[in-house]
Amino acid sequence: MKTLLRSCGRAWLYLVVGLGTAIVALVTTFVLVALLAFCAVGVGIPSLPYAVRVVRWQAGFERRRAARASNTPIPEPYRSGSVLKDPATRRDLAWLATHGVTGLLFGTIALGLPGDGLQLLVMAAVWRLAPGGVQTPVALVVDSVPTAWAAALIGVCFLVLSLWLPTIARWQVGIAKALLAAPEGAVLTDRVAELSASRAAALEAHGAELSRIERDLHDGAQARIAAVVMQLGIADQLHERDPETSLSLIRKAQDTATDALAELREVVRGIYPPLLSDRGLDGAVEALAAYSAVPCELHRANIGRRPAAVEAAAYFVVAEMLTNVTKHAEASRVSVTLAGTADTLSIVVEDDGRGGADERRGSGLAGIRRRVAAFDGTMTLTSPPGGPTVLRVELPCGS
Amino acid sequence: MRVVIAEDDALLREGLVLLLSTSGVEVVAAVDNADDFLSVVAADRPDAVIMDVRLPPSFRDEGLRAAVAARRLHPGLPVLVLSAHVEHSYATELLTDGAGGVGYLLKERVGKVERFLDALRRVAQGGTAMDPEVISQLLALRRVSDPLDTLSAREREVLGLMAEGHNNTTIAELLVVSEGAVHKHIRNIFTKLDLPADEAGHRRVLAVLAYLNR
Repeated sequence: MKTLLRSCGRAWLYLVVGLGTAIVALVTTFVLVALLAFCAVGVGIPSLPYAVRVVRWQAGFERRRAARASNTPIPEPYRSGSVLKDPATRRDLAWLATHGVTGLLFGTIALGLPGDGLQLLVMAAVWRLAPGGVQTPVALVVDSVPTAWAAALIGVCFLVLSLWLPTIARWQVGIAKALLAAPEGAVLTDRVAELSASRAAALEAHGAELSRIERDLHDGAQARIAAVVMQLGIADQLHERDPETSLSLIRKAQDTATDALAELREVVRGIYPPLLSDRGLDGAVEALAAYSAVPCELHRANIGRRPAAVEAAAYFVVAEMLTNVTKHAEASRVSVTLAGTADTLSIVVEDDGRGGADERRGSGLAGIRRRVAAFDGTMTLTSPPGGPTVLRVELPCGS
Repeated sequence: MRVVIAEDDALLREGLVLLLSTSGVEVVAAVDNADDFLSVVAADRPDAVIMDVRLPPSFRDEGLRAAVAARRLHPGLPVLVLSAHVEHSYATELLTDGAGGVGYLLKERVGKVERFLDALRRVAQGGTAMDPEVISQLLALRRVSDPLDTLSAREREVLGLMAEGHNNTTIAELLVVSEGAVHKHIRNIFTKLDLPADEAGHRRVLAVLAYLNR
């Protein structure tokens, strides 16, 4: 009973606030219609963006209100680009008109039912005190016992009907959700577009990486090992005739093989840092921080082991940022924070340098963004002139 | 000299055994994993051990950890670590106990047999043998207000060779200068880096490495 009353109370409050916003929405609708009429004759067009802003503000208020009431967030459906072409703007307008009408109706019911019900009951009890009977909120004058009974009955009916207020409030929330949330299809379409883009970026990065590795191996280690085989072959041939030259060729072959190994090490380091595979992200980042040229403070929480590609990307981000800070930031200290949840890994690198970092000026930042995008991750950089510079990266690593 | 070898690659392991036994070094045991290594070393302290960093089962840094564990068991046990790649931070980890007798070389350095045996002997006597790659990694780290900036190019060269474990005579030969000149460079380095002048071989390297890793 108590919970029923409480939910009725909440619904009542929701609908009464809804009445207020409905009145505003209705007025806005009329103003917009007038504005469109002016636009048709050529004036008023410059005011359209302001009008959209007013509508969006109201829609935003309703979104937050409905989200609180239903305990599920309603994300903004707006796309970047022209507001007038955004389908979400049309849906906002549809909501504005719908809410103007239904909100007014629902709000009036919410205000009327319980209030009038109580009033009727009171009048049924006290009609004798007023000479000539009392005028009730319904078309009924209470001036006799039967009319008093009738008023009491209607009052009880009104109060019982008030128990439907939570349902009406849910309708209002439903209208807001139906029109103000992004339609499910649109959310999925956007997500598919995002994923296609990041997949394309990942494929391209991967392809570029493969061809770079192929080139490095082909021009480097592979060529040198071929030379070793050749040198050893000649040494074998000369073994009897000219042991002196044969020996020098063997030594040369050894040097060439050593060079090949050095190049292989470089290639391996580029594919996957050996330290990362020895020690995991935790240990590898620790080594980066310990040997950072700018004193580095490291915070880690719940990193665990992640997919190898994600660990490599995270390592790359930290290594690249520490290099950037050293080269450009003129910082006296830098802090690196790695924190993980079950399906994301976040990296924050903050320095106390001079700020003004710009991705477009060919620093490693563009490279970081590409790497992160390939994993469908996000990167945000704030670097006002004078600092501090803060880089935040989120890498998804769930399935 | 009695050594224990821990190397999982059969070719390299057999090669090392062959190379060492033909050079008058007694190979007490050659094992392919860290557990066997630790039980062999625990049973009988050898004069030196030769370790691979990556060993089964996970092929991460078992060898390095086994080396550190063995040195806890036998303080100052000379350890020569071989690896396909070097990480300067591993060198620091091996040196942190301050007991010396540490070497860290790329595997292919074994190919220059004389130099390799020389490095092994140096390590067995409590000295150090750092791969030039370790030194160049350390020197590549540029620090804010880097004290190494005050060194001349020649002095840097001498410092690198010192850290590799060479003595003054060898440094003089390698740089084609007189030993007196090397002495002068080293005195200058100690002064500029504010290190106590200590002529005992490995201690000066420890001091230099400790300084670089600060």
